[in-house]
Amino acid sequence: MITILAAAGDASVLDTIQKTFGLNTPFFIAQVINFLLVVFILKKFAFGPIQAMLEQRRLRIAEGEEKLKRIEKQLAESEATTAAAIAKANEDANRLIEEAKTSAAVLSEQKAQEAIAQAQQILTKAEAAAKADRERISAEIKREFGRLVAATASQVTGKVLNEDDQKRINEEALAKVEG
Amino acid sequence: MFRRSITTTAALWLAGLAPTFAAGGGGHHALPLDAQHLWGWFTNSTIMVWIATLLIVLFCRTATGKMSLVPKGLQNFAEWCVESLYDFLGGLLGPHLVSRTFWFFGTVFFFILVNNYLGLIPGVGTVGWKTVDAHGHHGFTPWLRGGNADVNMTAAMATVFAIMWFVWAISENGLKGFMAHIFAPKGSFGGLMLAMMIPIFLFVGVLEMISIAIRPVALTFRLFGNIYGGEQTLESLMALVPEKLAFLPALPFYFMELLVGFVQALVFTLLGAIFLKLICDHGDEAHH
Repeated sequence: MITILAAAGDASVLDTIQKTFGLNTPFFIAQVINFLLVVFILKKFAFGPIQAMLEQRRLRIAEGEEKLKRIEKQLAESEATTAAAIAKANEDANRLIEEAKTSAAVLSEQKAQEAIAQAQQILTKAEAAAKADRERISAEIKREFGRLVAATASQVTGKVLNEDDQKRINEEALAKVEG
Repeated sequence: MFRRSITTTAALWLAGLAPTFAAGGGGHHALPLDAQHLWGWFTNSTIMVWIATLLIVLFCRTATGKMSLVPKGLQNFAEWCVESLYDFLGGLLGPHLVSRTFWFFGTVFFFILVNNYLGLIPGVGTVGWKTVDAHGHHGFTPWLRGGNADVNMTAAMATVFAIMWFVWAISENGLKGFMAHIFAPKGSFGGLMLAMMIPIFLFVGVLEMISIAIRPVALTFRLFGNIYGGEQTLESLMALVPEKLAFLPALPFYFMELLVGFVQALVFTLLGAIFLKLICDHGDEAHH
């Protein structure tokens, strides 16, 4: 240091500094080349690949974040769609149940009406059959009764009755019986 | 606090006395101020620079040989180193400038760091041969010398930085903007005030030019001085005690030199980045 300060007074300060510290043009150039070599090597083999990898990873992370947002959005949409579908399904189910209930009531009523109609029909038929039987029996009874009256009248009077007599006697006897 | 002050004072006192004792001992050969010429253009510091370069190449090839998206091992460590420094410089320079200049500042930082730590390996600067000059003075030439303990190396880095500084400054500002940045009045002046300010800012511009010229010199000698001084301190401390115990007084200072090695790498890189940021400030704002 003292040497340097002393040398500062001289005209060739730079020369003194160069000699004191060994600053030498060929060595300096050699070190510049060494340094530039290191710059090249680090840029090519270290900073280049590492920064490319960091950039690639950053992009992937950004892409992942973007995907995540998209998935979250899709999930939210899907949930909304599902909720809407469930709500619609519930609504449809309720509507179907109501329709089924209504249909069942209508069907039940229809079947009941049909049953009633059938029963009524059966009853009517039964009544008609009973009426026909009664009329048939009544006619047979009347015929038998007429025959018995005519036979009795014939035996009591000893007279052979013609058809008109038999008819008249029958009608009179029936009128008395029915009256 | 008091104990720490006493310890620091004692350490500094010992460090200050070390060269005296060393010189008096006669058996100690201090590290020469200049790098020793071996052959051709090569010195003992050039060999260390090659070793540093080789180690960096090996590390880079191993770490980045088979890169995967999920990092592990050396790749993870290398990515952590690069990313941490990139983010740190990015905070200072801004995203545009750091993407343009990281290859240089990153190289400067790691190269200085590796060289500084290699210079601390036992044997570097201490194993060599004795010499006798024409005047009969005994000397010592170490086989290996820390890369940054050679002023040619630090000057090479500072010179490359100075050239790159001009390239970046002019490409970011344009030649006119670059000159305006140095010489034009800063602030909004008008009329008489502007007329008065022009010569003042021209003078300030001249001072700025001198400052710009001095920067590489300051960068050169700051790094060289700290590293050479550190190595010299370690050697002088070792000379204080008998040879078998030579490691003992130097041991605490090894830890300090580890810190100094890192700090000096950071200082060189940071100062370079700050100098660049100062001149490119307008350019960077324009990009934003």
